[in-house]
Amino acid sequence: MSAVAARLRGRERRAGAFRGGPALWLGAGVIAAFALVALAAPALRPYGVHAIAGDQLSAPSRAHLLGTNAVGQDLLSQMLSGTRSSLLVALLAGGGTLLVGTLVGAVAGWLGGLTDALLMRVVDVFLVVPRIPLVIVIAAYAGSSLATVSAIIALTSWPAGARVVRSQVLSLRGRAHLRAAVGFGARTLYVLRRHIVPELGLILAAGFVAAAERAIVLEAGLAFLGLGDPTRKSWGSIMRDALDFEFLFFTDAWAWWLLSPVAALAALLLGLAFVGVGLERHISPRVARHAGGAA
Amino acid sequence: MQGEPTTDASGSPAASHVRSVQRRRVGAPVAFYGATAFLVVSIVFLLPRAMPGDPLLARVDSSDTLFVIDDEGRDRFRAYYGLDEPLLAQYRNYLGSIARGDLGWSIGRSAPVRELIAAHLPWTLLLVGTALALSALIGFFAGIAAAWRRGRAGDRLLLVTLTGTRAMPEYVLGTLLLILLAVVVPAFPLAGARTPFAVHESAVAAVIDVAYHLVLPATALTLGLLGGKFLLVRNTAISALGQDYMELARAKGLPERLLKYRHAGRNALLPFLTVLGIQTGFAVGGAVFVETIFGYPGMGTLILRALDERDYPVLEGSFLVLAGCVLLVNLAVDLTYGRLDPRARAS
Repeated sequence: MSAVAARLRGRERRAGAFRGGPALWLGAGVIAAFALVALAAPALRPYGVHAIAGDQLSAPSRAHLLGTNAVGQDLLSQMLSGTRSSLLVALLAGGGTLLVGTLVGAVAGWLGGLTDALLMRVVDVFLVVPRIPLVIVIAAYAGSSLATVSAIIALTSWPAGARVVRSQVLSLRGRAHLRAAVGFGARTLYVLRRHIVPELGLILAAGFVAAAERAIVLEAGLAFLGLGDPTRKSWGSIMRDALDFEFLFFTDAWAWWLLSPVAALAALLLGLAFVGVGLERHISPRVARHAGGAA
Repeated sequence: MQGEPTTDASGSPAASHVRSVQRRRVGAPVAFYGATAFLVVSIVFLLPRAMPGDPLLARVDSSDTLFVIDDEGRDRFRAYYGLDEPLLAQYRNYLGSIARGDLGWSIGRSAPVRELIAAHLPWTLLLVGTALALSALIGFFAGIAAAWRRGRAGDRLLLVTLTGTRAMPEYVLGTLLLILLAVVVPAFPLAGARTPFAVHESAVAAVIDVAYHLVLPATALTLGLLGGKFLLVRNTAISALGQDYMELARAKGLPERLLKYRHAGRNALLPFLTVLGIQTGFAVGGAVFVETIFGYPGMGTLILRALDERDYPVLEGSFLVLAGCVLLVNLAVDLTYGRLDPRARAS
């Protein structure tokens, strides 16, 4: 893409010509719905998260819209709390992942040379060390409050984004206006902040969506293994409670106890995947056209 | 799941990884994976030492039941666990025991960690191996078939379905399979890797029993790994379709099968191999969740129980062994890569 084309595209974007296709808007709608629910959760929550609110294993009813679990806790209340956990982690860990990834990728791509080689080796190491066993060991030692888990996710998930940002920065590096900026004495951080990060706009947005997706999967997964924040409920820990209950499949309780968190996770992740597909189609229309709307 | 870097053929992280791998010679991969293994081992050593607290806190805390009242007694404990030595000496001892294959002693089960892992690892290898092989075969052939029929109904269906399953974590896929095919339609067993207490008449019957128990966990893991490979092969094959040599091959009147697998498929093979290596890591992680859901007696079940009991030696040992397996597979992939790629051979 030439500099002129880039400017034209930028103008197009400003003029509101951004079209992500129906997938993007559908996905954005799903995410917005979950975000609203998460914001309103304290007001919507009929009972306390850990309060024993009714009979054990009662089917969905007017008093308990999603039924109760084996100790009689209200599952709607737990699900609402889980929505908050998932979205909070998506923001914290997704944002952290993006921040570290962008910084490392931009520095590596801009400075090049030994710094680049070194940082890319670190990225390679992260690519070949299995992440989930690593995260499990770290979380087992470091504790599993939501903030700690978010930090662990961010510190182990950034390399994928760093690669993408680096290759973009490499392609930007030779542009005339950047050479001019350096010629006028601009320092690395200034160039990154003033020129490179703004040019990366949509790619960073897509990176954030992908990071948020992974963060939600990892947080619920850790909670599923028992490494969840003990002070709040997560969709993963609801699944774990259900599967830990020995007689789950001898009753009908799985239909409301186990399926609710699974359905919520699936819906939110599909929403994010749709947004990701829409963004990617916009970033590289050539690939999308070739691929008939892939990826 | 996990947005593995496989989305397009040209500018993707997978492709750039492929290029960076290409540049390495045979000695370099060995050095890289050796250094990575050393790093992994060092992280396991440093992690507990970087955390606040002290393994002997309970002996020093006068309110704890394990409190040791005299200084001399406390020193004996310290010496017994080697904690009185300087950090560097501890590190040397630790490296030595790892080199001897000694992974420590399980607190929860009072057994050597090595034996526990030896009992659980084969099941995980079976599960992960099956899922990797199945997803590789299906992903490769479905990817090429879809590229050949791009834009048509079958391609679109595969595309939407596999983009969807790719977004789902293995524990969601596994739970859905469990409910669908073991609870609603009880076609497969709920849990385990073998029928408990069963005595089989022949070895064949025993193998069938194991395979029967493997179906659901392996399907869940395969589904989780399929999407990334499918998209990669499909997109690489599509970009090969537009090339001149494809036009020429077609003009020569080569049969469709040769065009598909010799010309388009072969080009997808190298990035495919790299992704297969990277996916081994994802597969091992996914297996931890899948085993938990299906009560499959592999490393995931071992890790889950170790987490419940805060059995740190087992957790560390499991991580070391799993990471070691994944590193070995990736090393093998990198070495094979050099042999398969004529450009890498030439340089």
